[in-house]
Amino acid sequence: MAEDLNWAIGGEAGDGIDSTGKIFAQALSRAGRHVFTSKDFASRIRGGYTAYKIRTSTDRVRSVVDRLDILVALTQRTIDENVDELHDGSVVIYDGERSWDAEIPEGVVGVDVPLKSLAEDAGGAIMRNVVALGAACEIASFSIENLDEALAKRFSSKGEKLVENNKQAARLGQEYVQEHYAEDLPEYSLAETDEDYVLLNGDEAIGMGAIAAGCRFYSGYPITPATDVMEYLTGRIDRYGGHVVQAEDELSAINMALGAARSGARAMTATSGPGIDLMTETFGLVATSETPLVICDVMRSGPSTGMPTKQEQGDLNMALYGGHGEVPRFVLAPTTISECFHKTIEAFNLAEKYQVPVYLVSDLAMAVTERTFRPEEFDMDEVEVERGNVVDEDDIDQYLDEQDRFQPHYDAADGISPRAFPGTEGGAHMSTGLEHNELGRRTEDTDERIKQVDKRNRKVETAQREEEWDYREYGDADADALVISWGSNEGAMVEALDYLDDEGIDVRFISVPYIFPRPDLTEAVEAAEQVIVVECNEQGQFADLLEHDTLTRLKRVNKYNGVRFKADELADDIKAKLEAEVTA
Amino acid sequence: MSSDVRFTDFKSDKQPTWCPGCGDFGTMNGMMKALAETGNDPDNTFVCAGIGCSGKIGTYMHSYALHGVHGRALPVGTGVKLANPDLEVMVAGGDGDGYSIGAGHFIHAVRRNVDMTYVVMDNRIYGLTKGQASPTSREDFETSTTPEGPKQPPVNPLALALAAGGTFIAQSFSSDAQRHTEIVKRAVEHDGFGFVNVYSPCVTFNDVDTYDYFRDSIVDLDDEDHDPSDRDAAKKKILDADKEYQGVIYEDENSVPYSDLHGLDSNMSEIPDGAPEDAMDLVREFY
Repeated sequence: MAEDLNWAIGGEAGDGIDSTGKIFAQALSRAGRHVFTSKDFASRIRGGYTAYKIRTSTDRVRSVVDRLDILVALTQRTIDENVDELHDGSVVIYDGERSWDAEIPEGVVGVDVPLKSLAEDAGGAIMRNVVALGAACEIASFSIENLDEALAKRFSSKGEKLVENNKQAARLGQEYVQEHYAEDLPEYSLAETDEDYVLLNGDEAIGMGAIAAGCRFYSGYPITPATDVMEYLTGRIDRYGGHVVQAEDELSAINMALGAARSGARAMTATSGPGIDLMTETFGLVATSETPLVICDVMRSGPSTGMPTKQEQGDLNMALYGGHGEVPRFVLAPTTISECFHKTIEAFNLAEKYQVPVYLVSDLAMAVTERTFRPEEFDMDEVEVERGNVVDEDDIDQYLDEQDRFQPHYDAADGISPRAFPGTEGGAHMSTGLEHNELGRRTEDTDERIKQVDKRNRKVETAQREEEWDYREYGDADADALVISWGSNEGAMVEALDYLDDEGIDVRFISVPYIFPRPDLTEAVEAAEQVIVVECNEQGQFADLLEHDTLTRLKRVNKYNGVRFKADELADDIKAKLEAEVTA
Repeated sequence: MSSDVRFTDFKSDKQPTWCPGCGDFGTMNGMMKALAETGNDPDNTFVCAGIGCSGKIGTYMHSYALHGVHGRALPVGTGVKLANPDLEVMVAGGDGDGYSIGAGHFIHAVRRNVDMTYVVMDNRIYGLTKGQASPTSREDFETSTTPEGPKQPPVNPLALALAAGGTFIAQSFSSDAQRHTEIVKRAVEHDGFGFVNVYSPCVTFNDVDTYDYFRDSIVDLDDEDHDPSDRDAAKKKILDADKEYQGVIYEDENSVPYSDLHGLDSNMSEIPDGAPEDAMDLVREFY
């Protein structure tokens, strides 16, 4: 494994932790290093512990680990919260001039830098975090010029003077460490490469995918951790003739998106669990009126308000079964940040081809994590837009009844009816949440009811036949042990394979991005001696589904303390499950 | 858009199931006439409604239409109009749909000022659930759920609209066909959110707010030299609890609709076959 470095900054919320972390992450990315960031934050604006962690390597990094090499501690709590991750040779940068006496654990190197005074020398105390970044560069043997570019990117809109002051602040930090700690530091060095990486999080990837796919209307209501989708689209979607509306609530948000979709626009709304609850009322209408709509649920810890800033994959059952009555929907769950981009595009195509609502289920761990990618992974030339069966004046005739009325719910053999966008001559029609006939008019006729329910379900059969509901596979395809997961666990699990391999344990790993429809894993499950399903919830909602599909009892590794899986920890959990079987 | 559209072109072949004599017949006829007389045709018109007697309107009219969930027709209309500004959007609601379950959306639709028309069929009772008190029911109106009356003042929808920054606020009476049509027509022509509260009597469950009651008590603002551009005068009329007014109560002639403020003029249904040509710029932002 290439040389890894784990860096973190922590302090009170409002201390500028996020922006400092982001600047360092960008500097590393610009230097051709892979970056994986994670955030630990509380649900409040000021106060409360918050941290931004970066794992960086010249190899691709897919997960967080239980290890910290350099920690910028703005408070004692920063040290206390992370003490388990510090090791012999870790470095803690702190400001001894402040009113607390830092308690540095044994074996850890304390680097006392007067962050505030040096920042004041450079032009203002506010730059103390940048002084710490300069100090970190020196400790990690990382060229400070890389930091300059990131500082320019961050501050150039606020004037050249500010950029220069910040560069100066970083240098004061660097020089201070050179002068006072040159002898005592462990050997870290951060090699640079010629690669150009982009650095983005899951919410941003969803927003970017939406624009690429032709989404032009977004309505939403701010909620953690989905808000970044809305913030990304605001100011960007309008370049393409689109618009973002901040609705008065989630009920309104989904209804606006529904209206836009009925106008013929590709429309989306994004929210998190509590918002999905509110949207569920309209979800049934979207589905039964056969309106294509992408509804993105960036999951957080529930139920109720739960833990708004913590990770969980607890909404799967809601996406699959939420709402009264029975109605088809597709559920896609990207497993990586780049897949957030690709699955968003796919979600729009599936929604329009099959005229169904598509739940795009992401989670907090992906939403707040930034990771480096080669830009080619977001290849815009590859984007295809499939609008499905849209009719215009010229081909509408085949869908008119004997009285020349358009039939939006025409009972097609594949279940897919025509769509006429408003403005299409001869296409005027009504849509409703009431059960309806082919004309879209209310009916309680028993035969018509069965006909429409069957027609809607037939679309699913068509999709199961015509689309590829595949999965990704890692590890040893012939291994006796099979691990299956969905959502953001893929990264940690892929790295866990390396840890397991080191211990001589062969594992086949399948990562599934489709919840419904989903690939048939029966054969893979039957071929394995032991099967473990990994997910961030208590009940094992995906494991339940797979047990139902494969009629086989599956083992489960569940984490529901609000923190995502870490690669090394997950490897231990898998190992323990496998051993439990052997000893039992 | 054709010039020879008649209002009957907006009629569907479905016979309304409203009770004989229901005020909603007149309300709907006026809406159809207003649409035809303002040069619209069924193929460029979108009608949204929620639940209740008013919700049925999309079935009885011929146009693009959505019969949605209770109280949420205004957000649907907002999405329809913003996504395609070429469409004429008309939203129908009832007093329960609009001022109870949908009250939040009402306030925000008013202040958003999207260029569409909102017609509320106000019969001061819940008809389709067979006679319970509505938000506009009188304080002492006895119903199955309020045997001694609601004992709370009715909502004043016009006051809500004015307070929320409404740019067109009007009231009409469904049986005064000519005036009602004329008022809805002006709402359609208004640049922004045209709101018309329509007295639309329920002949089955409301024996207080009847045709006779309205006929006897209605005061036409045109007979009072009311100046709709005068907001203070409008406020006085609206807060006068003793009178039932019909006419355009307030119109802001400088109203700038939402789409103009946000520079929205494209039909969002028109998108490229693949990603936009400069889409790689979106990726480059993340370098």
